Amino acid sequence: MATPPKKSWFDNLRESQVWNSIFRHGPPDNTRNRSLAVLTNVFLHLHPVKVRKSGLRLKYTWCAGGTTFFLFLVETITGLLLMFYYRPTAEYAFVDILDLRSQVPLGVMREIHRWGAHAMVIAVWLHMLRVFMTGSYKPPREFNWNVGVLLLVLTLLLSFTGYLLPWDQLAMWAVTVGSNMARATPFLGNEGPGAALLKVGDIGLVHAGDDARFALLAGRFVGSAALLRFYVLHCVGIPLVAAVLMAVHFWRVRKDGGISGPL
Amino acid sequence: MLFKSVVDWLCNPPILFTLIFILFFAAFLLRKLRWLWSPRAALIAFALGAAFVAYGLTDPNFRLIVTKPDNVPIVAMLFLVGFFSWLSMYLALKNDERMGKSLPPEEKLESEIKILVWPDLVYTEFLCMILWGVLLIVWSIYLKAPIEEPANPAKTPNPSKAPWYFLGLQEMLVYYDPWIAGVLLPGLIIIGLMALPYIDPNKKGNGYYTFAERKWEILTFQFGFLVLWVMMIITGTFFRGPNQNFFGPFEKWDVHKLVPLSNINLSEVIWVQVFNTGLPQNWFLREIFGILLVLAYFVLTPLLLAKTWFKPFFEKMGMARYQILVFLLLCMVSLPIKMYLRWLFNMHYVVAIPEYFFNI
Amino acid sequence: MPDAPKTEPVVLPASPGAAAGGEVSRRGFLSWIAIAWVSFTGAMTLISVSTLRFFFPNVLFEPPQTFKAGFPSEYAPGVDNRFKESRGVFMVRDDKEIYALSTVCTHLGCTPNWLDAEGKFKCPCHGSGFYITGINFEGPAPRPLERFRIVLAEDGQILVDKTKVYRQEKGQWQDPEAFIPV
Repeated sequence: MATPPKKSWFDNLRESQVWNSIFRHGPPDNTRNRSLAVLTNVFLHLHPVKVRKSGLRLKYTWCAGGTTFFLFLVETITGLLLMFYYRPTAEYAFVDILDLRSQVPLGVMREIHRWGAHAMVIAVWLHMLRVFMTGSYKPPREFNWNVGVLLLVLTLLLSFTGYLLPWDQLAMWAVTVGSNMARATPFLGNEGPGAALLKVGDIGLVHAGDDARFALLAGRFVGSAALLRFYVLHCVGIPLVAAVLMAVHFWRVRKDGGISGPL
Repeated sequence: MLFKSVVDWLCNPPILFTLIFILFFAAFLLRKLRWLWSPRAALIAFALGAAFVAYGLTDPNFRLIVTKPDNVPIVAMLFLVGFFSWLSMYLALKNDERMGKSLPPEEKLESEIKILVWPDLVYTEFLCMILWGVLLIVWSIYLKAPIEEPANPAKTPNPSKAPWYFLGLQEMLVYYDPWIAGVLLPGLIIIGLMALPYIDPNKKGNGYYTFAERKWEILTFQFGFLVLWVMMIITGTFFRGPNQNFFGPFEKWDVHKLVPLSNINLSEVIWVQVFNTGLPQNWFLREIFGILLVLAYFVLTPLLLAKTWFKPFFEKMGMARYQILVFLLLCMVSLPIKMYLRWLFNMHYVVAIPEYFFNI
Repeated sequence: MPDAPKTEPVVLPASPGAAAGGEVSRRGFLSWIAIAWVSFTGAMTLISVSTLRFFFPNVLFEPPQTFKAGFPSEYAPGVDNRFKESRGVFMVRDDKEIYALSTVCTHLGCTPNWLDAEGKFKCPCHGSGFYITGINFEGPAPRPLERFRIVLAEDGQILVDKTKVYRQEKGQWQDPEAFIPV
């Protein structure tokens, strides 16, 4: 009488009630279970079950879009961790950034966040280049290209708002120079063409205390109010909008026929 | 050092951009020279670039700029954008050759085959994440993020630059006023990108690399991206020093470098130098020639083009699409035009109405 | 072809345009819809405008826009930097008048420095240069530095009011409140 082969601990684990309550299908060694692995997992289900083989080629996609998304996740996680130690006031901001390096364990969190941000900007540009060069913005994907353009702009805005947070000379003057362009917005900036025409009687409606730049900085210059405003935009406002658009973006990739390929 | 001074001279914006314009169009239009886009040529170009950076790092001034922590990603970007631009062209030309022999593009061979996402795609993504994660951690350990002295509203550092990804826009500020370089052109870039799928009349080249079927689209887009965006960023990052003056890569950033600035407006040229009458008091009369010139540029050029070079586009696209396309193109080309006006004639403003903040 | 099943007319509560018999005429129904949509759009507009207004604070924690700048006799000829950092004003005195120049470069808002040796304001951001009068003569600055309203208060001190600017290109520097004659 042959003894049945001894079960490994992993086999036992796989037959346990707990395991089966979490994973609702067997090991992914056949087509059905592999499909279920993607279908029944909330994180994987934004993939289709099957994709074009040509779309999987790294030389076709460069994995630029996926890289951008991964870097967004890295930024979210590291950014969240940084928020535990950073106070967005003119009084503390600079010191807290210094402390992140010296007083906080594993003092590279800020570095990962910053270099990840730079890498994300580059990745999103390369993704745009790839999508353009493969003609993947053509029908039926026109709308998704537009969502992508908005995401690109939001990526730059995320970077720009984050740039102010260290509250050093580099940050402050980069934002001063950048936000001063808002002064020149036609009609809406106090130094924009046409702003002088908007007046009631003799009183100009657009001046340094109520124009586009003022709305951005919550003041006439880059001060504590601007720091707080940029902080909120950087940590909550823009990421929320970007997350919604990303959901739309990935959804539309699938609905418009997956990764593009020749018709 | 002769080599260094030659490089410094070559990097002067007028010379550099003229060279880049010529090189850009030559590289794309001479695609029949297959070795130009071969992997071997790419390797040689890459080696030359790497050798130049390595050699440059021996120079203190060059090293100072390139190894600024925030500038390291830009050097990386230069090589990445170069590599991927080459790769996309290489694949495109390969497909063009296949299609020349009436074969389908390479992607077609596998586009009908469907593969399961698990394991193929999921594992690719997983590896990509691991590689990027390792790269980021190593990079972060070896390179400290910059922090300067605390913010001080009363002390403007010299030079003051925007974050690097906006330095292309800041470079435009040299040639245009803030309301154009900082508001109008960035807005038009976004609008232009969004309008792209709707004003591109070409139905071919959807889902595979090709150049022959999409010559004009690729030339226009890459001109905007590589030359007017990436090259401007390179210039603004590496060649602009104190007072926003130009400095070659091997030149010392000297705060006291004197650059004679003798820019004049079109109105001054016409009224003072040509008519010898002095500037009229009335702003409209003073700027009438500039206004007419700008109007002619935006109104007459599309009409002329519709009758000549762009005739096929015009017939294919219809009025609305054509007008939007040409307007966006004219805005894009206006930047190089303004650059050359500045370099050749010291032209400051074509239209200068400071009374209403309206300068072009 | 069987006949399509007869549908009973939907009976809605009487509306302003309801026809007799309780049935809603198309026009009456439309007017309800129109009223609803117009009010919805109005409410949405109101909410958007209110949200936009939310971004403009009523109180600023910035130095006040008007300040007393001492007595005219305290100023020696030349450029005085005493209010440059705290108030953003260069106090300038020449042989005829005292005026208050803005420290905001007209190009992109950096702070120019007064270089005594070269006798000019020089902006470190993009190299704009201004004469002591504030007139721009080099670099990308499109127009002269602005001057602020400057008057003598009742106690004889100089009062600078930054809410009112005088611009040379509009010929406003001759305005009696753009300078104090000495």
